[in-house]
Amino acid sequence: MIRHAHRWILILLALALLAGACAPATPAPTPVQKEFTFYIVSHGGPADPFWGVVLKGMNDAAKVYPVEAKYFGPEKFSIQELVNLLNSAIAAKPDGLAVTITDPKALDEPLRRAIQQGIPVVAINVADPRPEGERIPYMFYIGMDEYLGGVRAAQRMLAVRTPKRAVCAIHEVGHVGLEARCQGFLDEMSKKNVPVEKLDIGTDPTKAVEALKAYFTRNPDTDALLTLGPLGTDPAVKFLKEDNLVGKVLHGTFDLHPGTLSAIKEGVTLFAIDQQQYLQGYMAITWLYLYKKYGLRPANDVLTGPGFVDKDNVGLVEELIKQGIR
Amino acid sequence: MDPEMVQARSRWQTYAQRWAQVVRLSGWRRYPEVGALAGFLAVFIGFSVIAPYFLTLGSLAGIMTIAAELGLVAVGVTLLMIAGEFDLSVGSVLGVSSMAFALMVRAGWPHLVAFGSALALAAAIGALNGWVVTRGRLPSFIVTLGSMMFWRGVLLAVTGGFPIAYEGTSSLMFALSGRLPGGFHASALWFLAVAGIATVVLTRTPFGNAVFAAGGNPQAARALGVEVHRVKQIGFVLTAVLAALAGIIQFSRFGSVDPLRGEGVELEAIAATVTGGTLLTGGYGSVIGTVLGALIVGMVRNGLVLAGAPAYWYRAFIGLVLVLAVIINLRIRRSAGA
Repeated sequence: MIRHAHRWILILLALALLAGACAPATPAPTPVQKEFTFYIVSHGGPADPFWGVVLKGMNDAAKVYPVEAKYFGPEKFSIQELVNLLNSAIAAKPDGLAVTITDPKALDEPLRRAIQQGIPVVAINVADPRPEGERIPYMFYIGMDEYLGGVRAAQRMLAVRTPKRAVCAIHEVGHVGLEARCQGFLDEMSKKNVPVEKLDIGTDPTKAVEALKAYFTRNPDTDALLTLGPLGTDPAVKFLKEDNLVGKVLHGTFDLHPGTLSAIKEGVTLFAIDQQQYLQGYMAITWLYLYKKYGLRPANDVLTGPGFVDKDNVGLVEELIKQGIR
Repeated sequence: MDPEMVQARSRWQTYAQRWAQVVRLSGWRRYPEVGALAGFLAVFIGFSVIAPYFLTLGSLAGIMTIAAELGLVAVGVTLLMIAGEFDLSVGSVLGVSSMAFALMVRAGWPHLVAFGSALALAAAIGALNGWVVTRGRLPSFIVTLGSMMFWRGVLLAVTGGFPIAYEGTSSLMFALSGRLPGGFHASALWFLAVAGIATVVLTRTPFGNAVFAAGGNPQAARALGVEVHRVKQIGFVLTAVLAALAGIIQFSRFGSVDPLRGEGVELEAIAATVTGGTLLTGGYGSVIGTVLGALIVGMVRNGLVLAGAPAYWYRAFIGLVLVLAVIINLRIRRSAGA
């Protein structure tokens, strides 16, 4: 028996060694051959909560399709940095590019060069606002119509009541997308003869709250406030609560994050306009893959927004936000 | 030249000379705060005239709230600048330590422990800055620029770009940034307390003397037995800890911190410090001046909105008013010193 036991131990040891030696050579899933490499170049760094979701959409799509996807975005908003990143991305000769057309003039030359080199280019998040013949000849745009977003925001507030005065608090001055949201809001409010203007609040929450306080002190009749993203929502909600203006001021905002959701649930914020930016990362990779693989492309721009999140659907959206999908 | 302008100029010169006499007679010119006070009064009176509601309690509370967070950072930056060094990493340290605090309280740590740990983390970063600068004999401008980028990058990598939110409250968080009557916040008290302590330390203790000596004339200081490196290292640690305190105060108020938190604070703190009369070259300056400088920055931000400055000229005005405040400051001081 003892001899048998010894033999068994030896056999087991040998098997274990064999298994150990073989393990690294045969990992469970066979590595997928990456067929294409796609880059997303954006004006927003992965730091921005909004762009983190786009990044997740991109990564999730890259798990579904046999592609390598990489994300580039300047840490701090800078057109120059965006152009530099785009130039390095083009130099790496990817199989496809998805770019935010944050500054059409600055991006015109590098993108035309990329298209000339045969790199398929799609615009995401921010489109080139110039007419068809003039604009950068990218294939199509995946994202929200920002101007329409601002218009719908104003309409939604006007449906509740006509404000005496409205203000659009912008946290990233000079950003074409945010400016378009603001402009849509301004134009629609002006149509109804509501006095309306822009306010530069910056990205620091303390300073943003004080800027809002000062504005409402100077213009106490203000009763409609539009913010353009989480960096505006948080200070706006804080301000409305601290100054007991909840219910007196119609507050609408753009883009979702946990703070926006609780503000909607508490009734501080009337609505948030969501552009489902997960799709902008996911669809960019999907469409670029389908185009490279089969030459398929949508006939038109792919609009991912504006869509509304309000008291009615906030619970549903909340779960997805936790997963970083909305 | 237009004779009227010549006349106006000579009138200005007589004014300045008269001012200088007053200043010299009373011996005020020894104090760097004099120029800062002049800049402060100019900005204060200017906005009182052009901005309605500027002289209301709410507006003053707003100014104080902006000045408190900026000022806490700037007090550290001032001490360090007097000792002859820069710290550009304060914005990143502010972000990293408030993020660390946020993560710890979310993980269920007692708030006081998290508070202490976050400050200790900042102190360690400050010590590292100081160690590299003094041991490597490297310019602090470059070292802390690198440190600023490095810690910002760490912050981004750790959070994956998402903000950290925390719903809970505690007496510590209230003590840091709770609302006080009149729209003031507890942060203002912290700011005034820290500024008061720093002023006493700087003007009434041997360490304060060592700080001035280390920045003014390091060789002479060393000859007199001042441990210049040690003084600078302590300066770096204090600066980082104060930046962390400001960051945690801000987190306590908003309950959230994003990875970009604190960006640009380093330059605003330097602006407040220099507006307050501290020399960029070290060896001369005052914390009270920095308090005034931080208040000037707060007044400009608040006052411009109250004055109805058009949104897109706002930033340009901030730059203009700051430079004007510095010019007034230097003019007063130079004419006083002449």
